[in-house]
Amino acid sequence: MNLRFANRAVSGLLTVLPANERLFVDEMTAFNFPAARSLKLKQVMGYDKHRLVDGQVCVSDLAVHGMEHLFSHGLLGRDDFDALIVVTQTGDYLMPPTSNVIQGRLGLKHDMFCIDINQGCAGFLIGLMQGFMLLDQPGVRKVVLINADVMSRKVSAQDRNSYPLIGDAASIAVLERSEDPTTIHANLKMDGTRRDALIIPAGGMRLPASPETAVREADAEGNLRAPDNLRMDGSAVFNFVQTEVPPMIDALLQQAGTTKEAVDSFVFHQPNRFMLHKLAEKMQIPYEKMPSNIVEHFGNSSGVTIPLALAFNLGERLRTSRLNICLAGFGVGLTWSSMLLPLGPMQFCEMIDY
Amino acid sequence: MDVFLQELADILEIDKVEPGDVLADFEDWDSLSVLSAIAMIDGRYHVSVSSQEIKRTETAQDLFDLIQKKLAK
Repeated sequence: MNLRFANRAVSGLLTVLPANERLFVDEMTAFNFPAARSLKLKQVMGYDKHRLVDGQVCVSDLAVHGMEHLFSHGLLGRDDFDALIVVTQTGDYLMPPTSNVIQGRLGLKHDMFCIDINQGCAGFLIGLMQGFMLLDQPGVRKVVLINADVMSRKVSAQDRNSYPLIGDAASIAVLERSEDPTTIHANLKMDGTRRDALIIPAGGMRLPASPETAVREADAEGNLRAPDNLRMDGSAVFNFVQTEVPPMIDALLQQAGTTKEAVDSFVFHQPNRFMLHKLAEKMQIPYEKMPSNIVEHFGNSSGVTIPLALAFNLGERLRTSRLNICLAGFGVGLTWSSMLLPLGPMQFCEMIDY
Repeated sequence: MDVFLQELADILEIDKVEPGDVLADFEDWDSLSVLSAIAMIDGRYHVSVSSQEIKRTETAQDLFDLIQKKLAK
């Protein structure tokens, strides 16, 4: 599906990372693998350190911390926005929505469109699309788009397949109308038949959490995980990304009537460095035009890796200049999406710790 | 074939792989090596093989044949 928007801008971006940093070399002793092979994995995939919440920290904790930072620094007024979108797969509760939790904790006005979106790696883009559409309403002046996950709480520390790469984080983007008539092009595809490639089998209504679903068992590789934990078919995801993403980007650029050379940076979801390098090679994009350093510094926090990659790699440039950016997200669902849009100069683009 | 065998040897961090070598017998033939092989095959031959397909092949020759079969399609 192709989508188009105009007169829309991301006027500010803040990321919130847990201060708690863990090192791969300290954690690999929990894995059921020879140390030499784990070090090889570190080298190939680009694992090093990652940020994980310490204890029972929730999405709304990270989000409220970030919002209060914006309020107290005069970067956003408490009454300046009329919609609050929260994209997460690890909400505080099954009910109520986490957007309502955040609205209540911040003491925001009742005249507010709160909505949760259950999406992962492509969630930041889907949140942007939803936010841009809400701005069609005259009653919506600004939209706050929060993308946050604390997925480490659902990953087994004895799962070498997923634990080394996982990260927790939140991002807050402020969306508003702009004078810029540049067409923003986007596309989006979904394939629910491949939903098992990334799944937490238990904890929903299909398989309610119970003492049995908390029992970890070894897979064929020796990874220990329970049905309560995230399960990822790494090679299936790899093949999905390499097969679907390059033609999606080609179609996006064709739709926009532009070329790869005209794009300043390809800021993609960050599964790991290995997968992004393979993607860059396949798409014939120089590594330096496709950031791939988020997992080694902070871990993979699903959709939040896109705003993290923007703030970490392009923060200064986004504060001062206007860049032509191609975003892409791909993963759980399966869902894959891309967007070509001008970003900057932003009122703020910064990173803080929780 | 020689290039393919050398690529496999590099993934397994050994000097040489023979066509008749049984992949599962290599100490380092684990999920990381399988993923590295998938990436190598995708990059060099532009065909997509799944880890399940790779696990069903026994020898290096079988894996090479699987790629050739996919290329012929």
